[in-house]
Amino acid sequence: MNPRPWWAKLGHLSLLLLTTVYCLFPIYFMLVQSLKTPEEDVFGNPFIVMNPTLENFEELFERKSEVRGFVGDALRRSYPFLDWLANTLFIFAGSVAATLGASVAAAYALGRLRPPGFRWWRRAIFAAYVVPQTILFIPLFQVVNGLRLDDNLLALLLIYPSMALPFCVWMLSAFFQHLPREIEEAALIEGASRATAFFRIILPMSRPVLVAAGIFTLGTVASDFMIASVFLLTPHNQTITAGLGTFDVALDELAAVAGVNLLAIPVVTISAVFARGYVRGLTAAMVEGA
Amino acid sequence: MSLRGSARRREIQLAYLLLSPALLLLLTVLAYPVGWELWTSLTDLSPLSDGPQAFVGIENYRRLLGEAEFWRAAAVTVVYAAVTSVAKLALGLGFALLLARPFRGRAFVFLAIFLPWAYPAGVSVIGWYWTLNPPTRTAYAPFMGHLKFVVDSAFGGGAWAFASVILFNIWRGSSFIAVLLLAGINAIPPELFECALLESKSAWRRFHLVTVPLLKPFLALGVFLSLTSAFADLANVWMLTAGRIVFPVIGTHAYWLATKAGQFGPASALSLTLVPFLLGVLFLLFRLFDPPEREAA
Repeated sequence: MNPRPWWAKLGHLSLLLLTTVYCLFPIYFMLVQSLKTPEEDVFGNPFIVMNPTLENFEELFERKSEVRGFVGDALRRSYPFLDWLANTLFIFAGSVAATLGASVAAAYALGRLRPPGFRWWRRAIFAAYVVPQTILFIPLFQVVNGLRLDDNLLALLLIYPSMALPFCVWMLSAFFQHLPREIEEAALIEGASRATAFFRIILPMSRPVLVAAGIFTLGTVASDFMIASVFLLTPHNQTITAGLGTFDVALDELAAVAGVNLLAIPVVTISAVFARGYVRGLTAAMVEGA
Repeated sequence: MSLRGSARRREIQLAYLLLSPALLLLLTVLAYPVGWELWTSLTDLSPLSDGPQAFVGIENYRRLLGEAEFWRAAAVTVVYAAVTSVAKLALGLGFALLLARPFRGRAFVFLAIFLPWAYPAGVSVIGWYWTLNPPTRTAYAPFMGHLKFVVDSAFGGGAWAFASVILFNIWRGSSFIAVLLLAGINAIPPELFECALLESKSAWRRFHLVTVPLLKPFLALGVFLSLTSAFADLANVWMLTAGRIVFPVIGTHAYWLATKAGQFGPASALSLTLVPFLLGVLFLLFRLFDPPEREAA
């Protein structure tokens, strides 16, 4: 290709710069806020932090007995942040595992075994996205109560997978459907069982798509605010999301932003590590326009 | 029954067995609630009244269509969904095309584009709220307050809140669509683009005669997911406006009717008004994405 003129290069570069700033600025801003001392929050420059401190993060882990300074119990709440962290990890990991398990099984059935009308099954599952979540939590509350899961983390483990499952089934079944039939048949002729053929051959081949489904599920689960706040009421049962929702804007702004970052850092790290795999998996599922 | 036939029957049984966890999950979480919503929308159920609920037929829907409030909420919802979807698609497509060709630092830019979606939105919405509506003591509060005042006085009360919700939705959504479209571009054989390069010198012609048609299914998927999230967008609006209804979208209006006014019937009817529209979009999507002529394959 002939070399591009300088203005095209400059345009490309500034476009890249603009994009990067647009995407990263809010994240950067929240990170900066969380590192500020209260003094700097009031008098400093909003965009930079001169004396970074971790005290906002430490505050989240403080126990009730340790009252800081003259500000008493009345003004400073204490948060069971470690519980929130543990709950969040449990819920996120559990939801991703449950979603992947259920959607791989369903996708294998639809993409490989192809029962009569499998296309319609797949469409029906995907159509779950049509249901508006708006006030669904009222009847959902009845379901959760009926299962005796009210104010219980397991309620989220039931609801979250349903939010990511339709897309994952769609993606995985499209991928399974396009794997040549011979791959499995060769193993079956050699005397392997269907299960062996699946775990030894199909599953390893579908790793990128599994990564994509997992990252999609993590992103979906981490984006929920409503369900967590509605269904988890006692502080010790809350996730970070539900807990931070109860913070008071005027009093705990810095601590809350620190909490936001504490949840974001692990989620973003995991997503970043698998980011390339995510694109590769989406591509693999889409090849041949599935 | 031949051997082949019984093997096939066992295969089908296995298929239903494997489908059951996913179906059971969706039935528990969606089927009963949707049924409840449908039934309730035909009654006058309210937690505030003691008497038994009465069946009122389509009264709730009829009254809804006569209310100015409903039409206002519907109009705001449509504007909200249209503005965010168009912006998300445009930005997403732009980002995806930017990333389609290799250049130095591409991995970094890709990561930057990926992060707004990967950043957990359940909490970033809290961060956004406090950034856009900071407590008065913070250093940037006067600036944000001034901005809010300027925007609100130029476009009417609630404009700033509306803009902030739209900005957040676009910021996160464009990231998701960009990555989806990038995956779509990667799925297209590069020979097609090379052919196009030989056929036409004009980048614009190549873009709208080759790139867009090839990406159509993925664009459709992006639009569908964007619309469902925008129409049902309750949490973000609710959070970013701190529960004050400065501009009702159908989602928040229904939520308000149900939780504050205790009118479960009209609230159910209201949120169900979205369904036919989304179903229509879904059918369009299926036509693009899962075309019927491949049924035989």
